[in-house]
Amino acid sequence: MNFFKRAWLNLIAKKGRTLLLILVTSAILLFVLAGLLIRNAADAATSNAKKSVGATLTLSANREAAFKKMRASASGDSTSKPEKPSLSLTPVKLADVKQIANLDNVKNYNLLSSTSVNASSFDAISTTTSSAVSANTEDGRGGSKTFADQGDIAISGVSATALTTNFASNGYKIIKGRGILASDANTTNIIVKSELAKQNDLSVGDTIKVKSTSGSQTYSMKIVGIYKAPSTSDTAQMGPGATDPSNTIYSSYTLANTIKGSKYKNTADSVTFNVSDPVKVEAVKKAGTKLISTSKYSLSANDVSYQSVKSSMTNIKSFADKIVWLVAIAGTIILALIIILMIRERRYEIGVLLSLGESRAKIVTQFFVEMFLVLIVAVGIAGAGGQFVGNKLGEQLVAQQTASTASSVQTGGMTRPNAGGQAPGNGNAQAPSGSVGRGGASFMDSSADKTALDVQVTPTNLAELGGFGLAIVFISIVLASGGILRLSPRKVLID
Amino acid sequence: MLELKQIGYWYDREENSLFKNVDLTFETGHSYAIVGQSGSGKTTLLSLIAGLEKPKAGEIILNGQLLSQIGLTKYRQKKVSIVFQSYNLLTYMSPLNNLLTAMAVTKSTHEGDKTYAREMLRKLGLTDEQMTKNVQRLSGGQQQRVAIARTMCCDAKLVVADEPTGNLDEENTQEVIQLFQTIAHEQDRCVIIVTHEPDVAAACDYSYRLAHHEFALEK
Ligand SMILES: Nc1ncnc2c1ncn2[C@@H]1O[C@H](COP(=O)(O)OP(=O)(O)O)[C@@H](O)[C@H]1O
Ligand SMILES: [Mg+2]
Repeated sequence: MNFFKRAWLNLIAKKGRTLLLILVTSAILLFVLAGLLIRNAADAATSNAKKSVGATLTLSANREAAFKKMRASASGDSTSKPEKPSLSLTPVKLADVKQIANLDNVKNYNLLSSTSVNASSFDAISTTTSSAVSANTEDGRGGSKTFADQGDIAISGVSATALTTNFASNGYKIIKGRGILASDANTTNIIVKSELAKQNDLSVGDTIKVKSTSGSQTYSMKIVGIYKAPSTSDTAQMGPGATDPSNTIYSSYTLANTIKGSKYKNTADSVTFNVSDPVKVEAVKKAGTKLISTSKYSLSANDVSYQSVKSSMTNIKSFADKIVWLVAIAGTIILALIIILMIRERRYEIGVLLSLGESRAKIVTQFFVEMFLVLIVAVGIAGAGGQFVGNKLGEQLVAQQTASTASSVQTGGMTRPNAGGQAPGNGNAQAPSGSVGRGGASFMDSSADKTALDVQVTPTNLAELGGFGLAIVFISIVLASGGILRLSPRKVLID
Repeated sequence: MLELKQIGYWYDREENSLFKNVDLTFETGHSYAIVGQSGSGKTTLLSLIAGLEKPKAGEIILNGQLLSQIGLTKYRQKKVSIVFQSYNLLTYMSPLNNLLTAMAVTKSTHEGDKTYAREMLRKLGLTDEQMTKNVQRLSGGQQQRVAIARTMCCDAKLVVADEPTGNLDEENTQEVIQLFQTIAHEQDRCVIIVTHEPDVAAACDYSYRLAHHEFALEK
């Protein structure tokens, strides 16, 4: 074990050289650590983002198939049926929903059923711009009803408001009372928007009356909560041809079904399944498609947010990987050169030790121990500094990536409404055509904290760093001393 | 104790051998001088005896065992101790640590015995203060005495020295000559000294001259 003592004596005796070696090694390790930190943080952020962004599957009527059928009947039976050909969309059956819900990785689901009614015991909010907007709105019920059939109050029937995109991620909030819960099924409980409540002086516990659009039926509804939407979402969120987003009432899907008529019992316009692991979306979609009649229904995946988070995180990760590699290679070369020079300069010492009969292995081990001690100190310094450098770099990266993510989400949001033409947007607020736009927005809202790189120096990082340093040191020492030690001791000593 | 049998050595080609078919025998309790002109190959021969290099021809036998069998590293560790003209001390250590290091590397019977090492250095004229400061702060004569003390602390029965007085003044030379005689006669070791100084050769029990690629006993 004499080589330990020699290593120590050497480091102590050559303080200046030792200090320089520690500084150079620290600097190299610092850069490597910064790269490792960003890479790890990007990894962690990616898996967090995967979890928090989530992905959904939407089960709804197959509009494409229905359109085909409509066209076929229009051309075939045009004489016998003079009336306008109608697009008949089959509502989703609860039995099918339960089967899909039982698949692996389906976390929960939200039934959506929408309709519209006319305000009876109160006044709907009217705005002049809204009619123009509503005319443009992709109306889910399409040709089945004319514009005149639209009531001024939109009823958004859901399983639970907490499961909707609006409440889960678009910033909708219950400000009084409570949201619609699964237990509200088969009740007349509703929640109304704060503007509507204010205009009509409504509060939790009040009962309001609405009339069906045909005017034949009157329904009483009990207000259990009042909600508020972020002001920005007002223009984005349009109800089913409703005059103003403030006229949207949330109820249990059963209430919407009741208003629509008895044949809608135990159905929904569409169902959104939340998939616990976004990676599994396609697999769940495949399994789910097997359970339904594809001529009537379609099951579509929506993981735009997930994909954009994933791609932005992949960018950071590949950038960090490049840094790690670049610095690792540059660092290896620099450190190896320094070590090689240092050992060549110690040729005389090697000769003396050889002449004393020290084994070559122990001479190499002495050098290794010296560098190991230097490395321990350097890892400590790099660890302290790495936290700082990593934070700065992380901030920089997130600033850049948020910008590029924003643009990618925007394009995602832009392209989807076109697809929304085929998408089953049965005129409900949760229809994919609308929700994607908002999905994008929701990702934007939360992207700042979701993609924030949590740069922390962990013991694992330091161990990785130490391992990396050891590898460089080992290779350099073996290379440098190999050149000297393969000579005969006489050549080392005398030449 | 040490036998050289038909030893030959050359650097580039056999025709240019420094020496050939050398047969020499060295015994413990005696000191030997090897003299000869500069460039004749004295250092080369000594490096063969010291196990720093393998001979190109012939065999070296220590107490009936071939050097190649003992292994050169083990041979240098346990069997031979070398003193160089340039002292060859570990420059980043004190004299005391140089001795302790050598004792540890050679696994000497006195390994780890600080008192013994101090006593050796004191015997060779170093003060306690000099023992613990860096070895490079000592004069040439003092450094060479540390190198000799290092040899004395180790168990090797064979001691070889290459121009050990080459860098020393007259006074130190005499002292070092005496030390080597003490090592040979009192410690019963075999001392082989390469030198070009007549004084050193005269002090040794035997003297070989290397000339015309051959060794001839002068004394
Ligand atoms: N590595 C070497 N390669 C070639 N020739 C060498 C080498 N080392 C020494 N020589 C030559 O061998 C001869 C003997 O050298 P050396 O043993 O050092 O002589 P001495 O010690 O007697 O002065 C010299 O002529 C020298 O030039
Ligand atoms: Mg010489």
